[in-house]
Amino acid sequence: MRLELGHIYIKDIQFAAESKIEDGILYVSEEAAKAVALEDEKIKSVSFDIAKPGESVRITPVKDVIEPRVKVEGRGGIFPGVIAKVDTVGDGKTYALKGMAVVTAGKIVGFQEGIIDMTGPGADYTPFSQTLNLVMVCEPVDGIKPHDYEAAVRFAGFRVATYIGELARDLTPDETKVYETCTIKEGMEKYPDLPRVAYVQMLQSQGLLHDTYVYGVDAKKIVPTIMSPTEVMDGAIVSGNCVSACDKNPTYVHLNNPVVHDMFEQHGKTINFVAHIITNENVYLADKQRSSDWTAKLCKMLDLDGAIVSQEGFGNPDTDLIMNCKKIEAEGVKTVIITDEYAGRDGKSQSLADADPSADAVVTGGNANQVIILPKLDKVIGTLDYVTKIAGASEDTLREDGSLEVELQVLTGATNETGFNKLSAR
Amino acid sequence: MNRGNYIIVTNNPLVLEKHGDTHNVIYKEVSYEDVLREVRDRIHEGHSMLTHPLSGSVKPNETPYKSIMISAERRAIDGESVALIENAIHACGKFEFKSDRYRPEVYEDFRLIDCTLIESGMASADALH
Repeated sequence: MRLELGHIYIKDIQFAAESKIEDGILYVSEEAAKAVALEDEKIKSVSFDIAKPGESVRITPVKDVIEPRVKVEGRGGIFPGVIAKVDTVGDGKTYALKGMAVVTAGKIVGFQEGIIDMTGPGADYTPFSQTLNLVMVCEPVDGIKPHDYEAAVRFAGFRVATYIGELARDLTPDETKVYETCTIKEGMEKYPDLPRVAYVQMLQSQGLLHDTYVYGVDAKKIVPTIMSPTEVMDGAIVSGNCVSACDKNPTYVHLNNPVVHDMFEQHGKTINFVAHIITNENVYLADKQRSSDWTAKLCKMLDLDGAIVSQEGFGNPDTDLIMNCKKIEAEGVKTVIITDEYAGRDGKSQSLADADPSADAVVTGGNANQVIILPKLDKVIGTLDYVTKIAGASEDTLREDGSLEVELQVLTGATNETGFNKLSAR
Repeated sequence: MNRGNYIIVTNNPLVLEKHGDTHNVIYKEVSYEDVLREVRDRIHEGHSMLTHPLSGSVKPNETPYKSIMISAERRAIDGESVALIENAIHACGKFEFKSDRYRPEVYEDFRLIDCTLIESGMASADALH
């Protein structure tokens, strides 16, 4: 597959009478965007707001972050099986609006995460403090069940992102990057001396608020399979995962997965990037057994020399991570695993809930238990009512001076396990 | 259905209310960590783990509720199950205890999430048989 990804740089977002993109400025008609969000009768009302890098703004509780894109050439459309009809994507030409994001927020359950601070110490930890954010806070109709509300907000975010992306259809990209994959045979012939490496991506799939969708299919119901790494760039994988803000993959991360991008960067130079393997993280142990068996089997069948394995979440997925690592290594394929740590507030506890000697090459996204003080900011988009109830926070979180004492796990993307975060030992 | 083949050990009243009449549910009014200990005791009696003890991204000591599926059948002690439950009990120590600090309405959400997590395990178990 060959995907041309056109970058259109957005320098500012403003509300206006008509939605359009002109000279790098995104003008949004609030009325038109609202109409798109309210297409679902389960959403009673929606309010839009704009948050810019450096502003004294806190967005919470964040549900998803989405980069608007539009498919201009080739099969299918953005978010196949979800917004566009089911068709294989990843080939042709796609435009992405860089420097901005659609952020969905809304109280789905009482202990919901996550925080994006646009300034201050919190901004240093979340990558989404650097994007111009079009934030939509959705209120559901009365008496709605949490799983219906979650689905309604998830779809509303994708609809609005698609609506914004469509505004770029006739524009000329500021920059174009080309991502090209080869078939198994072509790869072997073209790069006979390079190590054959695949990306094994583990998808959160435990249940309500812990789900991921692949071409619209609930990932807990898939068996591990192979994708072309360009497919995710057209929204083949979307997030329905709202819990554990620091180490979940928002849809934005799936679209811009840094492991995929870094492996493409090395493709043909130091590695032959053979395939993108996806697997899940179910709660039922027999599912874990089957999925890790299949993942290792696929690695073997592809004659890999190495695999990079990324996790999503903590605890239950630690077991999937170690099972994958052990079984892939047992097939003679070297692994590097990417995880994050829950090492306690002092960093002294065991980082993962599982371990194995074969996990001898580990990249960490950081310690999610690390404590941080977030100063009071001037404006809150969403509500602080729930900040005290998000993972890593408590009723004592809100201090007398208005600052918050929280663990890194409340910040959206802080310890992301694909490396889409800002923590570094450097 | 596979109702005879597994036992759900839980401290979640919603799981008891929804599945107590149709499934083998052992309900105990104990803490999250004590649910893990209840399960550990049964693992040592020869039951095996069927769902992961740390299911869910809501952490131990944050949510007070935990439901775990174990086999109804007893065999020789399963070493993997022992390791899994011991690691889970150890992991509880890493999280500050705050599951008594929430407003009353939040507990309803915690019960719902725990229930949906175990139901996703039940769906897998029931589909296999």
